[in-house]
Amino acid sequence: MPTSFRLFLDAALARTYPRVAWLFRSRTWVIQETVLPVLGVAAFAYSYRAMDAPAEYTGLVVLGAAMTTFWMNVLWGMGAQLYWERDSGNLELYVMSPAPMMGILTGMALGGMTTTVVRAAAITTTGVLMFDVPLRPSSWWELGVVFGLTLTALYGLGMVFASVFLLWGREAWHLVNLFQEPVYLLTGTNFPVSAIFPKAVAAAACLIPLTAGMDAMRQILFHTPGIFGVYEEMALLAGLSVVFLVAARHLLRYLERRAKEQGKLTVRWQ
Amino acid sequence: MTDHLRTLRLATWLGWQLETNWASPWLFALYMFVKPVCGSLMLVCMFYAARYATGGRVPAEFLPYLYISNACFGLVGTVMFGLSYAVVRDREHYRMLKYIYISPAHFQTYFLGRGLARATEGTVGGILNVAAGLVLFSDMRAAVGGDGISWTWLAVFLAIGSAMLWACGMILAGACLNMSRNGMFLSEGISGLVYLLSGVVFPLAVLPEWVQGVSRALPTTYWLEGMRRALMGPIPADAPMLRGPLADWSNGELAAALAVTTAGLVAAAQLVWRWSERRAWRLGKLEENAGV
Repeated sequence: MPTSFRLFLDAALARTYPRVAWLFRSRTWVIQETVLPVLGVAAFAYSYRAMDAPAEYTGLVVLGAAMTTFWMNVLWGMGAQLYWERDSGNLELYVMSPAPMMGILTGMALGGMTTTVVRAAAITTTGVLMFDVPLRPSSWWELGVVFGLTLTALYGLGMVFASVFLLWGREAWHLVNLFQEPVYLLTGTNFPVSAIFPKAVAAAACLIPLTAGMDAMRQILFHTPGIFGVYEEMALLAGLSVVFLVAARHLLRYLERRAKEQGKLTVRWQ
Repeated sequence: MTDHLRTLRLATWLGWQLETNWASPWLFALYMFVKPVCGSLMLVCMFYAARYATGGRVPAEFLPYLYISNACFGLVGTVMFGLSYAVVRDREHYRMLKYIYISPAHFQTYFLGRGLARATEGTVGGILNVAAGLVLFSDMRAAVGGDGISWTWLAVFLAIGSAMLWACGMILAGACLNMSRNGMFLSEGISGLVYLLSGVVFPLAVLPEWVQGVSRALPTTYWLEGMRRALMGPIPADAPMLRGPLADWSNGELAAALAVTTAGLVAAAQLVWRWSERRAWRLGKLEENAGV
């Protein structure tokens, strides 16, 4: 096996390990990461019930909540992670070591995906059972492909964020916060985007992988009208995955160099 | 007393600086505006989606109900999350918590000051949020101040609500003193739970009967109902969908229930805080950090 690939793999696995190990070691995890988010979701489900909305709308909320956990993980576990690593003094070790940064980011993504899949599965299962959500998937394999592509594109975007955040200080935390509500609104976390937004706005929102991914999954699971067809959204997600991963690779190199030039790799407590 | 006031003033100033000086004033103003307004617009979109799906059967009064409740609840979330995050940030990020503890500053008053800074931020965000709603939606304009805003009741509910917010924040901050970094996410989860149980985005009548009992034990339920009444008046008779178990209560009854439940919460907060502070001190948690 070529040395560079071996290094990439080792770095990715080493960075995946603490995230997965945390899953088994944190005793409060089950309540904090599964039960509490479900209760939060329930509020929106009851809101639709109070408005006598069709049962599928509760399904939209449950799916939205499950997929939102990945967005949160992308923001906090990928985007802001290098900022935190810098504060804890790990970032300089990452940069100094022969391990490729893309390997470390890949490990962060894999570890984050693993823990978040468990959380999302708990939310989905509880939500579906609790609110008797009518699931009528037209194709399981299409659902699987869309889900996989959505995660790839989302975590690719997370890698882009991580590199951009290298240059940011304390504002990183606030900007991560700022990327929550506006994105929930644009991606239609709790409502069908195509029923509310004009086509042009909905199409532009599809540049966020969460929008296209959720829209395609809703079409497959609940047969709701979509912004585009399922296959078009699959193609879009595949394209976004490639763009984000390539962009992350280039941005990481460029911004790492900028951060070195500006002396930001070791600045703490900004 | 002078020492307490000095601690309060300086902690509030510090909290405000930490929250605001990371960006230029314009960027910060945008941040204060965009975040809460987008949260409310999501509810507006849910309202219109449900209205579209039901062929217009959802009454127009549901929109201001959602909007105002959510804007008011923003204050609860801001203070609850803000106080627990203040513990995590001071202990793990700035590593200052132990120095504050050994300084002459009163530890609890210090957190009260940090909470005040967050409450100020939440209040400004809430006002901007409601203002945006009034500009954008005619249903909001018709509901808010349609019968005239009841300024007296608004002041009463805000005053008691401040004590309630402080108590909620202190309970979570006390819990965070004894937890690692992930403690800050606990407040988000608890905030979600309170969001559900207080009937922020739906009338309580939708909940199962036994859950309504839990809701009626929470001061936030009475506070939100009181704030809605003060701003929008009682629920119109032609919107039965919005009537919950508190619909027939008078404002005085609501304020009394809020005062009683808040008193219970304040007592509980004091017990929890003192126990948590002592435990954290005994176990060395005041300087323990996760290497953040």
